[in-house]
Amino acid sequence: MRLRSILGGVALMLTSSMAAHAADPVKFALCYDLSKAYTFVTPQVAQAAKDYADLLNAKGGLEGHPIEVIVQDHGNEPQRGIECYERLKRDGVMVFDMLSTPVSRAVLPRVMKDGNILMQSLAGRGDAVDGEVFKWVFPIGPTYWGQAANDVGYIKQQSGGSLKGKRVAFVYVDYPFGQEPIGILKTLAEKEGFDLQLFPYPLPGNDQAATWTQVRRFNPDWIISWSLSNMHVIASREMKRNGIPIEKYIGVNWLNEVDIKNIGPDAAKGLKRGTNVAGGSTQPLVQEIIKELYDKGKGNGDRKNLEDVYYNTGLAIWSIGFEGARQAIKKDGWPLTPQKLKDGLESIKNFDANGLMAPVTVTAADHGGGGKTRIEMWDGTKWVPQTDWIASFPEEVWKVVKEQSAAYAKDQK
Amino acid sequence: MLFRQAGILHTNYAQDRALFPIPADRWMIGGLLLLAATAPLYLNSLYLSSYLLPWLVWTAAALGLNLILGWAGQFHLGYAAVMGIGAYAAVHAQRAGVPWEIAIVLAGLTAAVIGSVFAFAALRVKGLYLALSTLALQFVMDWTISHVPAISGGTQATLQAPDIRLLGQAVTSDAGLYYVALVWCVLVTTFMLNLRRTALGRALVAVREKDYAAAVIGVNSFYFKLVAFATSSFIAGVSGAVLIGTFYHAVTPEQFSVDVSIQALAMVIVGGLGSIIGSYFGAGFILLMPGAMNSFISWLTGLFGFSLGIETLAHLPHALYGALIIGFLLLEPLGLGKIYGNVRDYLLVWPFGYVKK
Repeated sequence: MRLRSILGGVALMLTSSMAAHAADPVKFALCYDLSKAYTFVTPQVAQAAKDYADLLNAKGGLEGHPIEVIVQDHGNEPQRGIECYERLKRDGVMVFDMLSTPVSRAVLPRVMKDGNILMQSLAGRGDAVDGEVFKWVFPIGPTYWGQAANDVGYIKQQSGGSLKGKRVAFVYVDYPFGQEPIGILKTLAEKEGFDLQLFPYPLPGNDQAATWTQVRRFNPDWIISWSLSNMHVIASREMKRNGIPIEKYIGVNWLNEVDIKNIGPDAAKGLKRGTNVAGGSTQPLVQEIIKELYDKGKGNGDRKNLEDVYYNTGLAIWSIGFEGARQAIKKDGWPLTPQKLKDGLESIKNFDANGLMAPVTVTAADHGGGGKTRIEMWDGTKWVPQTDWIASFPEEVWKVVKEQSAAYAKDQK
Repeated sequence: MLFRQAGILHTNYAQDRALFPIPADRWMIGGLLLLAATAPLYLNSLYLSSYLLPWLVWTAAALGLNLILGWAGQFHLGYAAVMGIGAYAAVHAQRAGVPWEIAIVLAGLTAAVIGSVFAFAALRVKGLYLALSTLALQFVMDWTISHVPAISGGTQATLQAPDIRLLGQAVTSDAGLYYVALVWCVLVTTFMLNLRRTALGRALVAVREKDYAAAVIGVNSFYFKLVAFATSSFIAGVSGAVLIGTFYHAVTPEQFSVDVSIQALAMVIVGGLGSIIGSYFGAGFILLMPGAMNSFISWLTGLFGFSLGIETLAHLPHALYGALIIGFLLLEPLGLGKIYGNVRDYLLVWPFGYVKK
């Protein structure tokens, strides 16, 4: 009797320790700039990651393993980002996101050396979509080159299939982020025969007056703009001043509802942006989060952020991250290794998080997942899609990617 | 008691001019050097590679800035740009096949040349005007790097730095890189300690106190200002190269942006103008305190079971960190180095405090 109870106790302990083992969390590190330059996007993205993790955890996590989201501020300082990476990698984190171009660049050599996963959607080097060179980096989503090509693709559609003689102005903030699409735009201008002119304006982008008077003289048919958040607001004011209709304006994906509010919802009517996620809280996934978390008072932040397209951007980034980890556990089992996670991410096929974003198919060669975007137009109250999810001129885009990644690969030898 | 001065009798000039005449100081320095040299044995690799190493390199850099700011009394708001010149020069040299030992010297020389060419123009003005023209150096550098692909390494603006090799031996381990940083920091510190007792050091101090008066007693202030700019730029250039070689492993423009210049300036001011130990404290404070505050607050909230929003959690350390800087500077406007000096002065005569009065 006694022996039995002891044995029973031991068995109980064993099973409970096994249960504890099975419940080992999968950790994801969000080393974000929550206090300096990227604060216009990071809180929403981090909130989305936490919300989605809670939602999945409530449903049993990733194949039984709960998700643990670790958020830490690095203040957009490379050395603090490195510290975050070095510390958390020792805590068993294998998936990192820095969401800052300077910090992603600074961490990349270490990630490549250690063999950990760096998610760097929409930040960092664009050529990292070349999975054959950047084995451990997953910039899922469009590169800026891809986005620019898709914008041109949309203009081509709108002009009835030919761009001959069209005038396109490229207005950009004059530092690496804004300069990135110039190469691809020039290539496409030559190929498609449209007239491209470049209009840089200096950081911090608060004064664009001189630039826009030049744009007016050029009298473009379309304006592609590489600007960040409030720079769009300044641009819209200058366009008004110069009598340029806002319908011609196609912004990069960094244009959200706050900016629309600052431009004025009515004044912004007709404004367009390229995006890889569907905006707004009407998306099924966001609705589910509202029902399961926010209606029960369990949300991870301010409810009004759910209207923000950057919240959906965060959902898109992390639904892919979590899905990759789920696939990895399903395919290769626990415990996870970076190699398994890499295989997991590379087996994502046609994943769109319930209609939230452009369908993503990641392969060993293409870590960008296809780079599809669409053009949306603000109709005064909401964003209206103008196209399907498209990826235009893939050959030209990949040519740029390959050129750059080959230069990186050469350096490594 | 601790810093006993009784029985210290100088019987020749060399003794009298020793760096540390009091034995307690020598013991402390020896102990610290021993601790630093054996750090890889007892510190885990995280602390070694992510805290101690950058701290040492930044201390060396801060000492270089202290030379121009604390000794020669010339403002420099473009210090990070000078470090950047060195970093880019070293990486380009390395990529062209120059051994690292020579590449860092080249880095220092390039920085010194560009730094002092710029100083020629800048030194025609004084005070705030000089501060602004050094700020211009920063912006000129930023612009050049981001607009000349041959320097920045193309549109990605990232140049991968080859592994550093010393005497043909690749240095990749955390301990190895740490020793490289340590040696550089000790070298710069030794140089700065000795600067105090050279004619150059005294001339710089004379220029700092009043360049006009210095000229009257026969010190060519323009020449010495130029020497100060060149020397400090040399230290900055090598420090930048060492920072890339041992810590970043890739060079990008943001690592040497205007924010970083301001941070370097903060290191020197918080540490104490003209104070060597202050540069150590200042660099440690500015570099490591935000991260330490972050961990501290996370730990506190964990301990008491608060749940703070992620944004509050990110901003609170910054607020506290700012308050700390103000607090320290209110307590002792001459910086952290002076706080150490006060403690030492107190202990010099302790327990006979009345001796001082």
